[in-house]
Amino acid sequence: MSLQRFTLSRRRLLQGAGAALALPWLEAMSKGQANAASSKGPTRLGVLFMPNGVREDSWTPEGEGQSFELSKTLTPLESFREQILVPTNLWNQASNIGDGHYVKTSGFLTCQTISKSLGFDINSNGISMDQIAATRTAGQTPLPSLELAINPVSIGVDTNVGYTRVYGSHIAWSRPTRPLAREINPKLVFERLFRAAYPQSSNSQHDSLLLDRVLGDARQLKKQVGYEDGSRIDDYLESVRSLEKRVEQASKPEGRSWQPAVDMDPLTKPEGVPGEHEEHVRLMLDMIALAFQTDTTRVCTFMFGNAVSNTNFSFLDGVSGGHHSLSHHERKEENLAQYQLIAQWHVEQYAYLLNKLRSMPEGESNVLENSMILFGSGLRDGNKHSPRNLPLVLAGSAGGRIQTGRHVTYDRNTPLSNLYRSMLAAFGTPVSAFADSDGELPGILS
Amino acid sequence: MLVRPSEQIIPIKRDLRSRLIAWGAGCLGVSLLTTVLGDPKTGIDFIQHYCAECHRPPKPKAKLDLTAYRSLDRIITDALEWDQHLARVREADMPPDDEDVTQPSDEERADFIVWLETSLREAACNDGMTPGPPMIRRLNRSEYSASVRHLLDIHFDAGEALPSDGAGGEGFDNAAETLFISPIHAEKYLEAAQTAVEYGFGDTRSNQRFLIAQPDDKTSPQEAAATILDQFLPRAFRRPVTDDERAEYNQLFETIYQAESSFAVALKLTLSAVLVSPKFLFIVETPNEQSEPVPITDHELATRLAYFLWGSSPDDELLALAAKDHLHEPDILEEQVKRMLGKRHSRKVHNFAQVFVEQWLGTRALGREFRPDKSIKGYDSELEGGMKYEPVFFFHEILTKNRPLLDIIDADYTYANRRLARHYRIKGEFREQPKRVDIDDQPHRGGLLNMAAILAISSHPQRTSPVLRGKWILETLIGEPPPPPPPNVPELEEDSTSTVSLSLRERLEIHRENPTCATCHDRIDPLGFSLENYDVLGRWREEDDGHPIDASATLPDGTEFEGPEELKQLLLERKDQIVRHLTKKMLGYALARGLTYEDYCSVENIVEDLREQGYESHALLMGIINSVPFRYKAGTDPRAGVQ
Repeated sequence: MSLQRFTLSRRRLLQGAGAALALPWLEAMSKGQANAASSKGPTRLGVLFMPNGVREDSWTPEGEGQSFELSKTLTPLESFREQILVPTNLWNQASNIGDGHYVKTSGFLTCQTISKSLGFDINSNGISMDQIAATRTAGQTPLPSLELAINPVSIGVDTNVGYTRVYGSHIAWSRPTRPLAREINPKLVFERLFRAAYPQSSNSQHDSLLLDRVLGDARQLKKQVGYEDGSRIDDYLESVRSLEKRVEQASKPEGRSWQPAVDMDPLTKPEGVPGEHEEHVRLMLDMIALAFQTDTTRVCTFMFGNAVSNTNFSFLDGVSGGHHSLSHHERKEENLAQYQLIAQWHVEQYAYLLNKLRSMPEGESNVLENSMILFGSGLRDGNKHSPRNLPLVLAGSAGGRIQTGRHVTYDRNTPLSNLYRSMLAAFGTPVSAFADSDGELPGILS
Repeated sequence: MLVRPSEQIIPIKRDLRSRLIAWGAGCLGVSLLTTVLGDPKTGIDFIQHYCAECHRPPKPKAKLDLTAYRSLDRIITDALEWDQHLARVREADMPPDDEDVTQPSDEERADFIVWLETSLREAACNDGMTPGPPMIRRLNRSEYSASVRHLLDIHFDAGEALPSDGAGGEGFDNAAETLFISPIHAEKYLEAAQTAVEYGFGDTRSNQRFLIAQPDDKTSPQEAAATILDQFLPRAFRRPVTDDERAEYNQLFETIYQAESSFAVALKLTLSAVLVSPKFLFIVETPNEQSEPVPITDHELATRLAYFLWGSSPDDELLALAAKDHLHEPDILEEQVKRMLGKRHSRKVHNFAQVFVEQWLGTRALGREFRPDKSIKGYDSELEGGMKYEPVFFFHEILTKNRPLLDIIDADYTYANRRLARHYRIKGEFREQPKRVDIDDQPHRGGLLNMAAILAISSHPQRTSPVLRGKWILETLIGEPPPPPPPNVPELEEDSTSTVSLSLRERLEIHRENPTCATCHDRIDPLGFSLENYDVLGRWREEDDGHPIDASATLPDGTEFEGPEELKQLLLERKDQIVRHLTKKMLGYALARGLTYEDYCSVENIVEDLREQGYESHALLMGIINSVPFRYKAGTDPRAGVQ
């Protein structure tokens, strides 16, 4: 069954799509004898960010190299032993300053120190590594990248520490002064993916005319306000231009560099934001899997929660209270036990995504094998707020480029940015310098 | 009973300086301000001793040489930079916490902060008042929705699918500085515009708003489109449009009409383009090429007014007055403000009350950042609605009925829906929609601090927190946030599951024996203790977990007080500080940016007027609307003031 057969407008199509709660995408319509078998699938890069750190003594695996034993918190990854790499002792030096959370969130993927700001001079002082990858592969997929989250941008400014909470709500920065907006509603994500993957070429001519007018207006405004004041107008100009480019490409779908094995099934569109946290998270992870499987994008970041998130985890047996509150465990066992359960729950969700990706065949391999999915937090222990020995797991071998199935202990305080350089190399977008990196992580790439 | 240490009975005359240090001034334990009031030399010495240690030639740190600042006048010349430096010192970022760096004592630091703040503020006022630059910002999500609703008269939320906006400046999500544009925005605006226009075409009521012409025997499609655009464009762009602009949109219509031969298709697309144009999505004031500040234009005034009081575009009446250049005339302006606050526009003013109150007080966190633990019984969506709307309706009344702002501290009325009334044990007929209720006979209600929403968001999910409530009062009501705990000091051990059966209060008191903690918590905790009779959801209680509630407290100056009523008395004594903080917040909201020292002079003037006018809310609104930063835009010299 092919989507070309649908004659309904895409909006009607999307409106008509019914309930679908975490449906397995396995059931997505198959394109039959697509070109998937003929070549290796593209590499995908995903990052799942967890706020508030982990219980230290339950994170690090025992043993080195291939003979390691998963820690308690990592037990949900048992069936992925061969697909994961656990690096120990990496740190994010640039975030070892400032405050407990904001610096360690906005700096998680940039490895730079954010400027202290209530907004006026907001600056991450770097570009996040996912955006380096996205920029350099732009045009190969309908969307250059996808930014997802669970919570809306946190409210207000934190006058106690002098940061706008915008900092705690973003890990993806396409420019030092531009955090990327995240989507939190799985239904809207689905619709966006669908629009991007199956543009209606009949609309595209009109849309182009419309966007031309808009671009004309943007240029007039930019001229009026002068260069410096116009930077947000510039951002808008750029945003419109890239949409126009996409609209143009819509008229030639054969332009896709890779023909995915499956189509999106409009019947599986989620209904909206579910009330339950776990269901919400799973639907967002479903969207990542869908986006990767259909090759609508190859780069995706996801935030389980914003910095200082106090999501109430009392839906877990044995937990009563908020995430951030419990992360300040004061070394009391009763708090530590709950804190550990919360981290383990996050790892379970990670495993859920990995499982989903692994069950998506792609050529002789599967989507997980062709991906790199990083899971991690910007600080290790919630009581200490230290960005040393960060809790990190990388899954998927980027099409065989990464040696997985190992726990590797590096020298104390090895830069996190070294891992990112290795990942960018595996993604096919190597960089010669990145933040405080002094090289790629040894022994990662095969 | 309120008991004071004897020496405190004589009221202190509060001049500018003592106001600054009245309650908060951080928690640094401000010394007697002998140095501050007398000798500027001490401040200069601080700079030369502690700052210029590193910021000096030949290799000044951060390329910042401070050795030249040897007089107050020299500092004032670079007031804007010193405003920034001051923030670093206030946040204890500077001098850096490093073994090699000489550290000032807490007293020296506090004295320096007060001295520099006072000096900069006085200098700002002496210069005449300095407005900010011309406004350039995009509409935030709720402004977008309201503006589209205004243009098309549609009854759905066009901006629902847009990404949420963060907050900056004074903590509001209309702050120009944090209204970013991501690649996703163009796509979202296009989709939203097409959906909205489609909806507007399909709705007979909304047709009447913008579909004011149709092609017929006498009218060509082009003529009909031109008529529609003549009305639509100035409304959308909030100003008269040029002939070129008119021609450009008529041309767009024509191009599509030629291709499709459908009036509806061509018009829909043209109107959608207007809604995706940055001329609609951005508020852009014309640049001021002169060096001195100039008044904003009447159209710019109409726009600022409308987004301030309505969170939406100016209506036809405002635009018409602006077109005649009458809007800025004092009588007309005041009349318009009254009209805007009037009953006919109640819904839009309610929108203002809601976005302002929820962000100022933090009650937007209800159901989001704050959700009570399942162990807390009695929480449901109707209660959440009642809690959420109580401060909004309450503030809406203060704004529209010209009530004294001091009602926020204590009042004999509030608003409750059925569920909240039951929660408060107020008898009477209630529905799901909140209604006004007199509460003279309610012993424990009246004013913001007794509202369930505020008591809840300043609690932990599973129990109350005197620390968070005290912090809320200092930060949100008084405007003097306590600094964060110093590094490596564990959070207060106030967890409720301790094996030793001590009351929360006893545990907090043990913690405050640590002098590092005590400097701040001696100020924070007592405020929260006095509210302990309210549980997590703001219900009145006499005991907690078997411990009788003890709502007595002692401030660091020795003042003893007990319970919410005496707390309110104490707060009323700080009314100028509370009103000043509210003024700052609202001015920041009205200007849609963070405030600078240049603005604080305006804040002082407004507070002065308020005091004279019995703190009536209209004095605050008119004070803001008539202020220099609201009415002027800076030129090329950012320091030039309006005399």
